[in-house]
Amino acid sequence: MVTNAQENAVSPAVRARARRDRDEELLVWPDLVFIEFISAVLFTVTLTMLSIAINAPLLDRANPAVTPNPSKAPWYFLNLQELLLHMHPALAGVIVPTVALIALGAIPYFDQSNEGQGEWLSTPNAWKLTWIGSIVGTVVTLLLVLWDGSKHVVLWAMVTGNAESDWPKFLDWTRGARALQDNLPWPEALRNIPLGSKVLRTDLLGLPPIDLNVDIAAVMVEQLIPTGLMIGLPVLLSLVLHKTGIAQTRRDHMIAQFAGFIAVFVVLTLLGTAFRGQGMELLWPWEVKPPVS
Amino acid sequence: MATNERPEAHSLGDRVYDALFHNYVWRSIFRSGYPNTPRNQMLVVATNVFLHLHPTRIHRTHVKITHTYCLGGLSFFLFLGLTITGVLLMFYYVPSVERAYEDILRLETDVRFGILMRNLHRWMAHGMVITVLMHMMRVFYMGAYKPPREFNWVVGVVLLVLTLLLSFTGYLLPWDQLAFWAITVGTNMVGSAPILGEPNRFALIGGFEVGPNALIRFYTLHVIGLPLLAATFMAVHFWRIRRDGGLARPL
Repeated sequence: MVTNAQENAVSPAVRARARRDRDEELLVWPDLVFIEFISAVLFTVTLTMLSIAINAPLLDRANPAVTPNPSKAPWYFLNLQELLLHMHPALAGVIVPTVALIALGAIPYFDQSNEGQGEWLSTPNAWKLTWIGSIVGTVVTLLLVLWDGSKHVVLWAMVTGNAESDWPKFLDWTRGARALQDNLPWPEALRNIPLGSKVLRTDLLGLPPIDLNVDIAAVMVEQLIPTGLMIGLPVLLSLVLHKTGIAQTRRDHMIAQFAGFIAVFVVLTLLGTAFRGQGMELLWPWEVKPPVS
Repeated sequence: MATNERPEAHSLGDRVYDALFHNYVWRSIFRSGYPNTPRNQMLVVATNVFLHLHPTRIHRTHVKITHTYCLGGLSFFLFLGLTITGVLLMFYYVPSVERAYEDILRLETDVRFGILMRNLHRWMAHGMVITVLMHMMRVFYMGAYKPPREFNWVVGVVLLVLTLLLSFTGYLLPWDQLAFWAITVGTNMVGSAPILGEPNRFALIGGFEVGPNALIRFYTLHVIGLPLLAATFMAVHFWRIRRDGGLARPL
């Protein structure tokens, strides 16, 4: 006899699976074990050939006194190193990856429906959403990186035949994110707000004083704008997809967001790997020279 | 007991087969007979500690390559390959600042197949990062994280992080300029975290900059700490696939 408690211990989806179609089933040995064996052999052979053909890199002995230019992290962290060029290090190096991982882990708790499981892209608009997410993610990321690298000025100079330094003076603040901080007439009062000595009066509690002088311009460029874009743009994408009716369920929104995330991840990784030369300058891959010490 | 039945041997072939697969020693190792009948084929999976990660039967859609592209299995395969080549590399490598780089040089020039071992380890490590990421994409686009597999998706995210950490800790070990500065750049990112950044960075590299302490910490994490952790989470991951009703398929 199956008690209620026993039944509740198994989730509905597993219970639904209880009636088995034996006709639809195969034996693991030989049908699955054979595939596993063949793919293991195939990959062993391929990897051995690859390892015979290409040697793992080994540079000079580590020397803390000689910094190669550029110094790059392993390729799967170059997306974060790319972010590092555009925002506050705490944001790029720790907060963004942490939030991204938590968001990834939360996907099944956000989209709890059981519909369309076990099928490739099963909602009616799934492919469309994947394409939209990937293309929007790619294009927007590229545009933002190019803008922050002042490449619009380079393009303008190329088209008009001017020098890059001829970029109109009154537009100097549009050169990139950093230009918003450097080339706008920020009032002195906003650039140095002594939070430490005026607001957080730790000295009154007998604690050492905190040295915290806030530069509003820097906070805006390093933290507020990047955070706003990283939250705002995905929200905007989902809003548009919702209003146009392309995304109807949570699964639909997840597909678009996930595709966008993968696109951004891939674009940033590629930019960091192949398009960043000395001084992390944005270059074409064929212009990127090996690091110099 | 059907497994103990001795078929009547008539022809020479039968007698050779009998001698090979129905003898006392064979039976002491493999409890089932040779897997040429459905019964023995199920027994061989159910009674073998390695094969029993599998169920004895699976739905016919699951053996289609395009259902999974074998990505999870490949990640596990690469983990096993990395363990084997890694153990071999440990024979020749001492994690001290004085010896590490020279050991790698010696491994490449003096050890038979040493360079092949190192190359295999390196390319398998990059391959595992790629297959784990692609496995995650496959599971997402197939909606295979949906109930009742929510928690196994979370375990998968943990395994992704562990894979990246395994690769990252291994990156320092050759102690060349590439390793040293990549880890310096990487750990500086950790250090930039608000409040807890600097203490964490200090704990990770055992000092204010990458040096002998960082090397021994990364080595220990790389060869024992993280692999044990990853193996534990993998066990949970595989176990939950079985418990949650096998691979996802349309309801």
